[in-house]
This record gives sequence, structure tokens and C-alpha cells, in this order.
Amino acid sequence: MATIQQIIRKRPWLGWLIFVATVVVVFFLGLLASSIMERRAEASFAYQPEVEHSQWEPRSEVWGENFPRQYERWKATRDTSFRTKYNGNAPIDMLERNPRLVILWANYGFSKEYDQAKGHAWAIRDMRHNLRTGAPVDGRSSPMPNTCWTCKSPDVPRVMSKIGAEEFYKGSWEERGHQIVNPIGCADCHEAESMNLQVPRPALVEAFERRGRDIEDATHQQMRRYVCAQCHSEYYFKGEGNYLVFPWDKGREVEDMEAYYDERDFADWTHGISKAPMIKAQHPDYEIFMQGIHAKRGLACADCHMPYTSEGGQKFTDHKIVSPLKYIDKTCLVCHKESEKQLMEDVYTRFDKVKASQYKLEKKLVQAHFEAQKAWELGATEEQMKPALMDIRHAQWRWGYIANSHGAPFHAPIECLRVYNTAMGIAQDARLKLSRILSSLGYNKEVPVPDISTKAKAQEVVGLDMDKLNRQKEKFMEEVVPRWEEKARQREKGYDVKELSD
Amino acid sequence: MLIFELGPLSLNCMKLFRKLIPPDQWKVPVIIILGIFIGLGVYAFYISKAHSYLSDDPSTCVNCHIMAPQYATWAHSAHREVTNCNTCHVPHDNVFNHYYFKAKDGLRHATIFTLRNEPQVIEIKEAGEKVVQQNCIRCHEQLIKDPELLTQRTHHTIETRTDRRCWECHRDVPHGRENSLSLTPNALVPVPQSPVPKWLKEMMD
Repeated sequence: MATIQQIIRKRPWLGWLIFVATVVVVFFLGLLASSIMERRAEASFAYQPEVEHSQWEPRSEVWGENFPRQYERWKATRDTSFRTKYNGNAPIDMLERNPRLVILWANYGFSKEYDQAKGHAWAIRDMRHNLRTGAPVDGRSSPMPNTCWTCKSPDVPRVMSKIGAEEFYKGSWEERGHQIVNPIGCADCHEAESMNLQVPRPALVEAFERRGRDIEDATHQQMRRYVCAQCHSEYYFKGEGNYLVFPWDKGREVEDMEAYYDERDFADWTHGISKAPMIKAQHPDYEIFMQGIHAKRGLACADCHMPYTSEGGQKFTDHKIVSPLKYIDKTCLVCHKESEKQLMEDVYTRFDKVKASQYKLEKKLVQAHFEAQKAWELGATEEQMKPALMDIRHAQWRWGYIANSHGAPFHAPIECLRVYNTAMGIAQDARLKLSRILSSLGYNKEVPVPDISTKAKAQEVVGLDMDKLNRQKEKFMEEVVPRWEEKARQREKGYDVKELSD
Repeated sequence: MLIFELGPLSLNCMKLFRKLIPPDQWKVPVIIILGIFIGLGVYAFYISKAHSYLSDDPSTCVNCHIMAPQYATWAHSAHREVTNCNTCHVPHDNVFNHYYFKAKDGLRHATIFTLRNEPQVIEIKEAGEKVVQQNCIRCHEQLIKDPELLTQRTHHTIETRTDRRCWECHRDVPHGRENSLSLTPNALVPVPQSPVPKWLKEMMD
């Protein structure tokens, strides 16, 4: 048989035919490739944006033009009508409900005011109103540093992007009052370009880094926890510059963080009654959730606090973040096929039992503080008192680790009871040591606890002049806040927002 | 000598191959054209992420973004923790049937997607229904066979379990009742990222 060479020599058109056929095949392969490319690109243009704005746009209403459904639900976090047995989003004066807290936080800001947290949309308004931030007016400055703004607003990452986190934290709270005006919103969790989840605040990212983990490696499901964990975690202010740090270097359990603080001799404040060097557990919500069964089964915060919802047939994530008990049909019932009544009962059973333990522990702590006060009065030495005061520090830290995380009794009930159990023992040790000191000083009776049956009485016991604090606050709200608002309005006029559609 | 020792089929192959070898003066252009041809093939393979179809990873199924509603609804369901797409949508009776069905279904999907023939509301075909039904039973067998459990579930009679599909009653499992692109706007699902590598992008900027 002849080779192709010979055939083509005889019939040259055959060579041309092969050539043209190849060109045609390559051409269509190219078309196929660009078709695949086009269809891939469709995915990223799945929605038609109305406006184009930068990552640092702090106003959720601007983001909301592109995502009206999510925005409407975010706005609904202004709702304050939902009460559960212990929490919900309604305003509750926690000190009124439980005046023991005033004693436990004597000489610390929380004894002035501590309320049930409302929805995200209230973050800025409530922070200005809260007595803890003081009344920086008439030449006074706030008792709190700028670090306190960190979790309240998407203005925070905006300002941090310009001056850096370290610089941001420095200085007194009122200095950034005019910069931080929009409540927690879109830019706190989303990337402007892709709407992907992101963590703009450094504390969580740095805590992961110190443990050798890179947040860039996180899966989408993990990010649905981390965007919450960037704020709903235990933290402290480090050093003179009040740098925000998550104390996770040794681990996230109560003993790990206690050891971390002890190693650094860190104290949030000196107790007003017992003089113990105290640690205030903030709100280790993420840490406790991670020790519960729902985390073990792979759930993220958003699965229950931002359930998948349907409106006019369209499904999307509900951005009205609230207690999952509000929508049991969309939260618990996705996995658990029991009646709503039964599920509610199950949640409340856990709360009732953990809370009963908490109240018992609080009573012991209150007694210990007054017993220490008595010992000081009778002339106990610092050396004598130190072991007992350290016990008070540890017991109250452990109490706060659970009690200050409002969802803890549901998130990880067994861990709650375990921690309270250890705290109960430590508080008991403190009281034993104190009674030995007291008897060595010639006092061998029960130390009386003053009448702290209401918030007002308890605040009088710790020496707070509430009328004065309230008056100053009012003046601050009238004179300073409007100036902040006006300055912010002027600034925001200059933000670059491009209308895209016609 | 070697050629004679091979069978007649190999012999023919060798002959055909030798026939296809181009004349010397054509060799260079032919090599280049073949290179273009194969290169484009590799490129199409790469940007369509063809290799990912061998896995069980659910993100493979949103390589075509029109499957985003199915992914998003699954990712918000209780089944998320224990299943992937293939757990329910591909038969598990034997390994040959498993891959045969997967290839058949996958190629059909790919063809329809490439031709832009997909409907707004994607509905399961009968062959797929049978597979899903078998897979419901594969995991939840006791719920229809264990006499003790059946006393708690009186609806699971012989008739209902042979004449009906599970989801005629369990309608929300796991994708919810309706599913279409317009019903799950802005669902954040792992759609393919740009195929251009990061270093190249940085170089171009």
C-alpha cells in the first residue's frame, strides 16, 4: 500500500483537505472553550447590581440597594418585641432582675448599667446611651478606650484600613465618636465585590495565627462561624495601647484562658469590696458553642440564628439575627421532628437547671466579697489575704465565663454545669480561707450581707451616685452626640457611590 | 522481524500509523497543528474542571452555576451533614452501575448545559427518581421494614411504600418544595473561581 506521502503526492488536494479539517476542528474547540468561559462568567454576574460602592462603605442602606431582601431583614433587628424566658431581643435591665450582679461588679463599669443586648441595628445607639461609656462632656473624658468601638460598626474596619488597628485602639472613647456612627451591618461580614464572607477585624485572625492557623484556609461553613466569632468571643485589652486580644494561646476552655491571664498577672479591675484582682469574662459565646453538641455535628451560628427563610417563594438567609426560639419551624425543626412545644421545653429545661446553679454560685461569691471586706477591716495583711483573693478571682472568672454568655446553657449545657461545679468548689475554698483569717483576727460569726434586694439598694452599697451619672449622660446626649452625627453626615456625603442601572 | 511476530490487528495498526506519518517537508507544520489541537483540548479540560467529576465533592455540581439552588437548599438541610449529591442521585447497588449512571447522567447534563437547553425549573427525570427512592431506602431501611418502628409510623404500609415515593409526603426533604434559579437569588455557593492563576493576575496588574 502507498504511504500518505505517496497519496498526497498523487492527489495534493488531500493534504489541503486534512489541513482545512484540522483548522475547522480547532476553531470549534476554541468556540467550545469560550462558551465554557462565558457560562462560567455568568455565575459571577448572577445578580444585577444597582449601585457600585467600595469595601469600606459603612452604610448598610447603600449595600441594601443591591440586596433589598437581606437589607429589610437586617433592618428588622430593630424589633424589640421578642421575649424568651431568660433572654430574647426585648430590653431587659439585667441589674434590676438580678441585683447580685451589682455587687459582683463593684467598682467596675458593669455595676452602673447592664442590659440585655438588643439587635445589631441598636449597637451604636445603645453604646452611646449606656452609662458604662460615661459622659465625655464639660472637659471630662470617657472611662473607656477607643477599643470599645471595635465591634459596634462597619465604620471600624473603614477607619482601621486608613490608620491601622494599633493606632485605632489608642485614646479615649469620645475621640472616635464622630467617626463611628453606623451600627453593625453588611460590611462587617461581607466582601463588597463577591458578597463572600470575610473577617475584617484583626483579633480573631491574629489569635488563629498564634495557634498556627490561617483563616484564609477556612471553608464557607467555618466562615459562617468566624464572622460571628470575630466579636462574640472572650477578649481583653492588652497594655497601654488597649490592643484587643483573644486569650486563646493555650486553648479556649475556661482553665486555659484562666492560666493565660494568671501567667500575665492580668486584671480587668480591682474589686470594690473584696479588693481581689478580677478578670471579667466578656461573652465567650463562640468558645462555649464550640464545646457543645451542635458544633460537634457541624453546625454554624448562622444555621440557627440566621435560618434559611422564604418570602414570596424566594429563599434566602434571614438577616434578622435573633434567638432561634423565635422561628422554631425554620431552626430546630429542620433536623428535629418534635413539636415546637416539646423543643421549647427542652431548651428551657437546660436553662432552668444551669441558671439554678448560677444563682447558688452567685450567692457564695457575694458572701465571699463581704467576708474579705470584713477581714480587711479587721486588719488582715495582704500576704494573708492573697490566696483567698486569688480564689475569688478564679471562681468569679469561671462564673462569668458561663453567666455572661447568654446562650451558654443551650449551646453547651454539660460544660456549663462542669464549669459552675469547679467554680463552686473554688468559691467554697475562698470562704474557708477567709473564715480562718477572720477567726485568727478574733471574729467568729457570720458576716452579714447588706440588703441588696433591688438594683438601687445594691448600687448604694457599692457607692454609686446614679442621679449624677444619669444627669451627666443626658447632657452628653444633648450636646455632644448631635455634633458627632452632623460631622458624620458631612463626611458621608463625600463617599463614592455609583448608580449603575437606568 | 518484530512486525511479523505481532498479531494481524497490531499489524494493521502499525500500517495505518505509518500511513499517517506525514512527508518530511510537512513534519514541522503538522507537529505545530497537532500541538494546537491537543493544547486546546487540555485547555477545555482545565476550564471545564473535567477532572473534578470523578470526585464526590458537592461543589463539583455547582461547576454549572444553574445547580446553585440545589446546592444551596441541600447546604441548609439536615442531610448536609451526612450526604453529598452522589449519595442520593447515583445508584450504589454495584460499582459498575454506579459509574455507568454517573457518566450517563453527567454527560447528559453537560450536553444540555453546553447547548443552553436547560429549563428554568430543573426537575428530576424518572430514572433519577428511581435511584433516589432506592437511596432513601438504603439508609432509612428500618423505617419501612422494622416491625417495631413501624408501630410508630402507621402510614408506612405496604401500599404506601411500594406505590409511592418517599417525597410525596416528605416534601421538604432535602431541597424544599420548589427549586429554581429565580427562587434562590444571591445564594452563596462555591461557584468556580477564575481559572487564571493568582501569580499571573498579579503580573498583569
